[in-house]
Amino acid sequence: MSHNEFKQMIQLSLYGELSDDKQKKLISHLESCEECRLELEHQKKIMMLIADHKNLEVNEELLKEARIQLRGALRQERNNRSSVYSFTNYIFQLFSTPPRLAFAALSVLILGIIIGSNFIGRGEITAPEKNPEFTNASMFDNDLRISNVQFIDSNPTDGEIEFTFEAAKQVHYKGSVNDPRVQSFLTYAMLNDQNPGSRLNSINAMDTYKKLSLDKEVKNALITVVMTDKNAGVRREALKLMNRTAFDESLKQAYLYVLLNDSSSALRIEALNALIEANKNGHSLDRNDLDLVVKQANQDDNNYIKLKSKTLLQEYN
Amino acid sequence: MESSEKELIIKAQNGDSIAFEQLVYYYDKAVLSIALRYVRDTDDAKDIYQEVFIRVFRGLKKFEFRSEFSTWLFRITTNVCITFKSRKKEQMIVSLQEQIDDDQTGYETIDMISKERSPEEETSGNDLRFLIGNAVDSLSARQRITFVLKHYEGYKIREIAEMLNCKEGTVKKYLFDATNNLKKKLKPLNAFQT
Repeated sequence: MSHNEFKQMIQLSLYGELSDDKQKKLISHLESCEECRLELEHQKKIMMLIADHKNLEVNEELLKEARIQLRGALRQERNNRSSVYSFTNYIFQLFSTPPRLAFAALSVLILGIIIGSNFIGRGEITAPEKNPEFTNASMFDNDLRISNVQFIDSNPTDGEIEFTFEAAKQVHYKGSVNDPRVQSFLTYAMLNDQNPGSRLNSINAMDTYKKLSLDKEVKNALITVVMTDKNAGVRREALKLMNRTAFDESLKQAYLYVLLNDSSSALRIEALNALIEANKNGHSLDRNDLDLVVKQANQDDNNYIKLKSKTLLQEYN
Repeated sequence: MESSEKELIIKAQNGDSIAFEQLVYYYDKAVLSIALRYVRDTDDAKDIYQEVFIRVFRGLKKFEFRSEFSTWLFRITTNVCITFKSRKKEQMIVSLQEQIDDDQTGYETIDMISKERSPEEETSGNDLRFLIGNAVDSLSARQRITFVLKHYEGYKIREIAEMLNCKEGTVKKYLFDATNNLKKKLKPLNAFQT
């Protein structure tokens, strides 16, 4: 057995993971080998140094911060799933019955017609003969916009080509703000629209209606926007609308998250005010929450927040 | 009665967010601990923690109880740790050797541990930690995660092999190479001169 193998055994022995047989063999070898005895001393010293270095421990505060951030990320994950699902359902419902079949038929029909017209718009648009079941050309009376045509096979040597495209259709819809389908659409827009103005309008469209009744999905979406939207204006409007929903644990966590993490002092103040208001209404904070408020009271560079945080803490002392 | 882990997993697979949260709370301190000791930065550790549980959330429906949940979870954790560091490679601190070459403070710290330390000298313990931390940082991603799991988290070689999805012999090799590399990096310390 080589010195190198014994050196590996020394390491395993120090870990307590060497079998009894090998342990005996190692001890016997160490008695006669100066080099390996030195190696043993070196490895012991390394382990001692590393053990001294073991100074990074997870404390409760770090764990709590990580959990709050995770909740925000999970909420966004869930909302993305549910809003995409609701939105897709909603879009399907806009088409005639049976909706999914119509949508599928529409896609296949477009594909067939484009192939049939050979991309140059010769003659009238008609359904291809090979697809006699999709003959309702009236579907194309609407403004269907086709874009982003990508060729998979553009060389018709065998008479066939293959491609993909996106089809968009403008939809006009009118309904009550309390209509679940309207709320579903607005929720999708506030979470996913690229344009911050559209996200803002989606929130404001609900906020301006006094008899608004929000469901849980919208509430969760608002919390996600408050915690994750890159635009401070959008976050602030979402926070305002969120204030109109019933206070609960998820709202409390969102306010604490904003108070601790938001770069805008205006939003941190709004969040703190909401917590103070909730406290007045009997929704008191627990010890861990108070610790976070104390942390903010000490760290925030905004004097108003420092003062208000301390006022809130005094109410508990 | 508290739900068993399997029940929690099944509930979470069916969309029960409270069950998922309970499942997270069983293991999240261990995940955060591995991440923190691996990256030695609280913000990075929180990023890893979040990515791990988002991946668990996304993949839970496909979890078919072919392995322990904890094995699967820690396998994700080690994967995220390894890839996280490679993404942030440019931010890695200079190697211990460069530090010692460039910074006289390094020599002072090295000399310090070759003798008994006075209470005053103990205050420089942070420098020593910095040096050792840098030496650990200089290990390859797989050597380092193996080293962290063994030395800081105290897992058995068999458990680490399951997490890394490799053979026990491979883990032993990572640990052996890691120790040799650390010895080289810490060679200027008198204690390791042969």
